[in-house]
Amino acid sequence: MFPLKPLLSVSLIFLFLQVNAQTKALYNYQDLSHLFYQKQKDSLQKAWVCPVIYKEKETQKKYKEFWDQRTDFVTGAIAADDYIHDQEVYNYIDGIISQLMQANKQLMPAKPFLLIDRSSSVNAYAMGNNVIVVNLGLIVFSQSREELSLAIAHELSHNILEHAENAMKQKAEWLSSEEYKKTLNAVLDSKYERLSRLKKVLENYSFNRSKHQRYHESDADSMAIILLKKSNIPFNADFFIRLDSADDMYHQPLKNPIKSYFASYNLPFEDTWTQKRSKGLSTRAYNFRDTSHIEDSLKTHPDCIERYNKTKSQSVSNASYTAIPANVQERANKMLIWNMYSNMSLTPCLYRILLEKDKGNTDEWYDFMIHNIITGLYYADRELNRFNAVGVVQKEYISKNYYELQNMLEQIPREQLEQYCKVFQNAGFWKSMPSGEKALKSFMYTLALDPDNSDKNKSQAAKTFTADNSTSMYCEFARIFVK
Amino acid sequence: MKKILSALLLLLAVYLSQAQTKVFKEISDEISSQVKAIRQDNVLVGYVVFTQLEKASADSFNYKLTIMDENLNDIGNISFRDQQLSLKTVSFEQDVLALGYIKNTVSRSESKNKRGRTITTTSNQASVFVQFVSLQGKILNTSNFNVQLSRDSYYTRYGIIYSPWYLKHSIQLSNIPQKGFACFYGEDQKSYLLFFNPSGNIGWKKTLENAEAYTILASKQDVYVLLKKNEKMVEGGYELIGYNVNDSSLYPKHILKDKQGNSLKALSFENDPVTGKPYISGYIINPSKGNKFLRVKHFGRGPYSGVFTINIKGDKLADIQSNYAYWADGSQSFMNTKGHFTENNTFPRFETSFKDYQGNTFFVGSALTRKPRWGMIIPGVITIPLVIPPIYFFGGGGSVNGKTTQAVVLKQNPKGAISVEQFIPANTIRIKNGLHPITDYDTRDYYLATNSDTKTEYIIIDDAKDISIYNVNQKKVARTIPHKDGKVYTYVFPAKEGHIMISEYNKKERYTRVSIEAL
Repeated sequence: MFPLKPLLSVSLIFLFLQVNAQTKALYNYQDLSHLFYQKQKDSLQKAWVCPVIYKEKETQKKYKEFWDQRTDFVTGAIAADDYIHDQEVYNYIDGIISQLMQANKQLMPAKPFLLIDRSSSVNAYAMGNNVIVVNLGLIVFSQSREELSLAIAHELSHNILEHAENAMKQKAEWLSSEEYKKTLNAVLDSKYERLSRLKKVLENYSFNRSKHQRYHESDADSMAIILLKKSNIPFNADFFIRLDSADDMYHQPLKNPIKSYFASYNLPFEDTWTQKRSKGLSTRAYNFRDTSHIEDSLKTHPDCIERYNKTKSQSVSNASYTAIPANVQERANKMLIWNMYSNMSLTPCLYRILLEKDKGNTDEWYDFMIHNIITGLYYADRELNRFNAVGVVQKEYISKNYYELQNMLEQIPREQLEQYCKVFQNAGFWKSMPSGEKALKSFMYTLALDPDNSDKNKSQAAKTFTADNSTSMYCEFARIFVK
Repeated sequence: MKKILSALLLLLAVYLSQAQTKVFKEISDEISSQVKAIRQDNVLVGYVVFTQLEKASADSFNYKLTIMDENLNDIGNISFRDQQLSLKTVSFEQDVLALGYIKNTVSRSESKNKRGRTITTTSNQASVFVQFVSLQGKILNTSNFNVQLSRDSYYTRYGIIYSPWYLKHSIQLSNIPQKGFACFYGEDQKSYLLFFNPSGNIGWKKTLENAEAYTILASKQDVYVLLKKNEKMVEGGYELIGYNVNDSSLYPKHILKDKQGNSLKALSFENDPVTGKPYISGYIINPSKGNKFLRVKHFGRGPYSGVFTINIKGDKLADIQSNYAYWADGSQSFMNTKGHFTENNTFPRFETSFKDYQGNTFFVGSALTRKPRWGMIIPGVITIPLVIPPIYFFGGGGSVNGKTTQAVVLKQNPKGAISVEQFIPANTIRIKNGLHPITDYDTRDYYLATNSDTKTEYIIIDDAKDISIYNVNQKKVARTIPHKDGKVYTYVFPAKEGHIMISEYNKKERYTRVSIEAL
């Protein structure tokens, strides 16, 4: 035995991790929430009975309405597969919650019900009744376990402080109050500007609500810091500043020109595809005052900078942070990308893959996904739905590269797109692909390239796929075509 | 639009969930919207949604304009208050949006008649309101022109019935490249043509001679008006006048007649895609059979002698170059003197025409066949001695019926020669009653879509069952889209250049999907 050189050993470990990440399958079809949480959904529906807390019938009725709406929201989201149970990702988040719970037993006597939302939005949310939901987008965005813990602790604090329950009560009380009815009747009685008056009534109500909510947010921030401290998880107010950049994902530039990503698959590319050819208003210099944004007074969360200033004194100095395990982030990212694909959000999906390639990720699953995107785009074109599959976004909200990619997906001629599909169907990476991925390739051929474009043919192919790959996560996509 | 619709639905859903339904129903009933495509140089560049939000005072309303780009993404909103407005037209130039409205200032007064009944009388006062909006969301300028409205009267057994008041010739706006906007409107007796600079200031105003109908076309530095006058040939009587935008000078008038003095029927009045100069194309009217064009039997008898293309290459009469092609003189091998195609014994009913990048003019319409209606003719002949029955047989349903199973494209090359470009398979339309106007049966819509990058022209044939997209360059149907596929109903609308807007309504799932697809 002789010792390995440190650099070589690190490289081998890295290689092992990479190979491990590449070969380990993602979740099963049965891990989707409509199947995995079926029992919990039913029991939740039975268990969440609205308590009687008001003597006034009307207020109680309103309260029950909101209560039931919340139940419907959760059960509906479970049925719609908004959530996923991936053991590795779940265990990691659950580990953070357990750590927070162990150290704060008085505040958290019972373990929260954790759900992982497949959304790419950088967010987590508390729904009351000890339910907490963490989005895949937040897991992918977070740079450290501590940063992720802050977001989770913040949401747990909402549950501890019963903010959701209190909000429902306040809403029920306000909407059944005489004052509210009076104001509405005054609107009806007025001859002129009835919409403006109605908006004012609702804005005043929203303002009051959001004012409360903003207090709630500050309270939740303060409690989250306590939860973290007791759990020995260092807090850094800088995390709030980073949250401010959560929406910048698609402002991030690519390292290489769009052309080079396709050239690596030996695909022909014309630069004109990336240039907007439209003469429309989207290309003009418009500059309307943004009337769509929410007035500051109506925001539910205070600005991140405000949160930073309020809490920076409590930051732990010289703390060391733990990286989120690569396999957790990798899995979360892949699940997120697949979910975007399933929802036919093709441009953001492809852009995320190209950003991943910029990081030097050579996992062939991403090549497989580019194949799916291109074939899906051609299928959408066949179905007269390319426009929606591309999801054209205005130039102000995205990077120059994203804009070019979006133009390319919109403008690449149909014949070239077909050629792309064929090249991808015969690409080299398929050799190392698992059987589920290979089966999806065959299904995608039926959708996009099969001369028989009938619904019957697609349905038959979908049935074959789901029968032969009943546990594959890709069944979710194929099942759409079964009927 | 998708965002506006979803925003409105969300707004209403939130409101409805929170409050008394009655309040929101009453208030939402007061909200109404109009959507118009924004065009520049005849290319669709965006959309505008004009929403009447609420009554603001006894004689004013609060309005909102939502401007969207060609991909239906919102780019901004403008709110304003004014009297009751109805948006009629929009145009775009130099990053300024011009909107033409009718401002209703109709006043009501009540009086008692001899029997003591209350009679409400309304005045016919209104105004044409032109608004100029920048892409910075500012209303740059407005102009208001008082107009007298018209109304039609009908004599019935109960007395005279009046139609609602309306502006005889509605507002037309057209952008003039690099210059501003041309605006037209007309009252019963007087019609006007105006030029606005991009800031919305009036450059000049002209009173036009009286006519039945007017169409304006801005072309480079000129504004042309195609007037349709009342004439013996009811489909003819076209005259072209033009003004120089810079000095408002009038160009010599051109009366649309061929060299033999036959009237011409204009099907298209557009700018040439290559030169940017105007052209007019259409039918040459047969002087003896020309006024009979309503029924299938009239078409079969040859109401037209040929087709024409007039290219307006300059402001002088000598700059007008006309190409006439006749079939009535027997000079066409593929057509007889009545205009029947010898290949399949059909005759064309052209609805539109356009010029391509090679200088050809294409005439597009349905290819009709006419057949004797033996079921009516035989009993009619047999019962002639009985006097009354033949009247029923010949007068009730006519002796002719017909059908159309194809669309037809006729090409006129730059030298004027004509040829059949293609018969395009289309849905079968049977004309069951020959006495009814052919327009009751032949409801196919034809319109043109162009991809100026690839210089490709497409004809969209919106048929009863299918929508066919015909590629003129490749002479083939590129795509056929059924209107109804299961529970999904599909409709096609014009969209940004080289694209069509597809609207799919799923009756079962109750949703509408809008998509803008490349041709």
